[in-house]
Amino acid sequence: MSGDSEQRLQDLIVYLRTIQKPNKPIESVGVHDNLFASGLLDSLAIVQIVLYLEKTYGIDISAGGFDPERLSTMASIVDLIDKANP
Amino acid sequence: MFLDLGVGNLAEPVSGRAWSQSEIARQVARRVARFTRCGLSRGDRVFLPFGNSLEFFAELLAIWKLGACAVPIDSRLTAFEIRTLVSAALPRLAVVDHLTEAAVAEALADAGVPVVETTQAGDEEATAGFSQLDDDALILFTSGSTGAPKGVVHTHRSLRARWMGLRDHLGVAPFARTLCLLPTHFGHGLICNCLFPWLSGMDLFVTPPFRPEIIIRLGQMIDDHRITFLSSVPAVWKLATRLSKPPQAGTLQRVHCGSAPLSAHAWEEIRAWTGTRQVCNSYGITETGSWVAGLGNADCAAEDGLIGAGWGAIIKVLHTADTTRPLVPEDECLPGESGFVWLNTPALMKGYFQRDDLTALAVRDGWFLTGDIGFLDEHGRLVLRGRERDEINRGGMKIYPSDVDTVVERFEGASDVCTFALDDEVYGQAVGMAVVLTNSESATIQALHSWMRSQLAEHKMPMRWWLVDEIPRTSRGKINRDAVKAACAGLTPLDLAHVLAGEMSG
Repeated sequence: MSGDSEQRLQDLIVYLRTIQKPNKPIESVGVHDNLFASGLLDSLAIVQIVLYLEKTYGIDISAGGFDPERLSTMASIVDLIDKANP
Repeated sequence: MFLDLGVGNLAEPVSGRAWSQSEIARQVARRVARFTRCGLSRGDRVFLPFGNSLEFFAELLAIWKLGACAVPIDSRLTAFEIRTLVSAALPRLAVVDHLTEAAVAEALADAGVPVVETTQAGDEEATAGFSQLDDDALILFTSGSTGAPKGVVHTHRSLRARWMGLRDHLGVAPFARTLCLLPTHFGHGLICNCLFPWLSGMDLFVTPPFRPEIIIRLGQMIDDHRITFLSSVPAVWKLATRLSKPPQAGTLQRVHCGSAPLSAHAWEEIRAWTGTRQVCNSYGITETGSWVAGLGNADCAAEDGLIGAGWGAIIKVLHTADTTRPLVPEDECLPGESGFVWLNTPALMKGYFQRDDLTALAVRDGWFLTGDIGFLDEHGRLVLRGRERDEINRGGMKIYPSDVDTVVERFEGASDVCTFALDDEVYGQAVGMAVVLTNSESATIQALHSWMRSQLAEHKMPMRWWLVDEIPRTSRGKINRDAVKAACAGLTPLDLAHVLAGEMSG
């Protein structure tokens, strides 16, 4: 993972802490683990992630035809950010 | 229509299942026979801890045909909450489906309530008489799932008054093919989104509620089923307008958004996505049979908080929120002047179930005190400006702070507590909690969390906790939740995630 990607991951973790359920630390979820299956985010929290990507990185998720899998793990979200901000 | 319960067709777009009117009649007749075998009779109550399925609606009609009363229950409640409702409502029977949590079915059985599986209706069919207008038809529990339950009782008379009011103001043609994405255990989804069209003979399409994987295919679903109407809440529209391709076929004739405040910006986003100007901010309260006001013709400028005129209801904005004295004309606010919103409608609930004390606090001479603040504009349209209610509105689903407080107060390591609303970008509001503990050791916090999880449905669990030395009270000893929220805003919330992981920080 590049330095930019690492920073984006850390920023994402900071954001996810603000919307997660307090059952366990977000760091206990692996970057390739499904965030929603982890129980830390409820299903509609996907909207919050979309809004975060819109506001922080100017990414319009709907433009490319939306696939929820792209937002299901921290790694896939960072990958999406990296592709939008090469 | 309405009085003879002549219904439209039913379909589940996700599963592909559908029942025609004749199949619905057969399914209802089987359930009438099954309920009769179970000894159900007029005045009995039946818990329905499931919904959003073909079977749910067949159960509802069968219950009504026998003069009994349906009590739809949120299937996410804990065993403790179920037992609380059972001890208050004393149901004769409960019906579950394959999606009902095993813990819920077990809690019902443990409380001595016979439980039947909805698909086990048998082959025998039976007819029944007719329910009477003043029979209790529905009880919707809005709070008190952990203490003294508050159940809104609607009779057939009040429900039909609601539907006839809607028919008079909106007609039924726009509802020819109605889609419901909302849960069927609360008023907005059940009484108005589902039952108004369906009992008017219109076709109803129902999906599991609040599923992102469904919402992101919403545009295609609307096109595939030539949907003419649907309602939802702002949080769902936020998801749909961003992630789902808009419908292309132009079948939508009318769209509602309700249960939570709608901004002018979100209103225009929904219009752009749905392709119709007929997007209405519907004002609904369970006690008035949900949708009680809105715009008949919604093709007007979107405004923050704009509702419109009463649908089968008179709206007054008064200076007073006092239900202990008669209302007088001098109480009325002038146009543009904010005050307390009161409603007068024949669709008003019969009262709160076995809680005349609560009914007296909310109703005066047939006028219902909504708890909302607003004004009537120069056109006589209602514009909402705020709420005076304690409830936390999480994406349209209401959570009552006292339900959470009641649970925490019973934890021996907690000496005081105050639950309050936090601002939330998507849901509008989330749950926050200030708590005074006898000690702040990790073990105590972990034990409190564990206790709350065992007593409260997950969506009621506070997202943010603050450990405080005291909860400020007014001189009369009352908690001011806004003041507690303001005090907590300047403090760092507990890093609960790490405490629960055994890594007490700071």
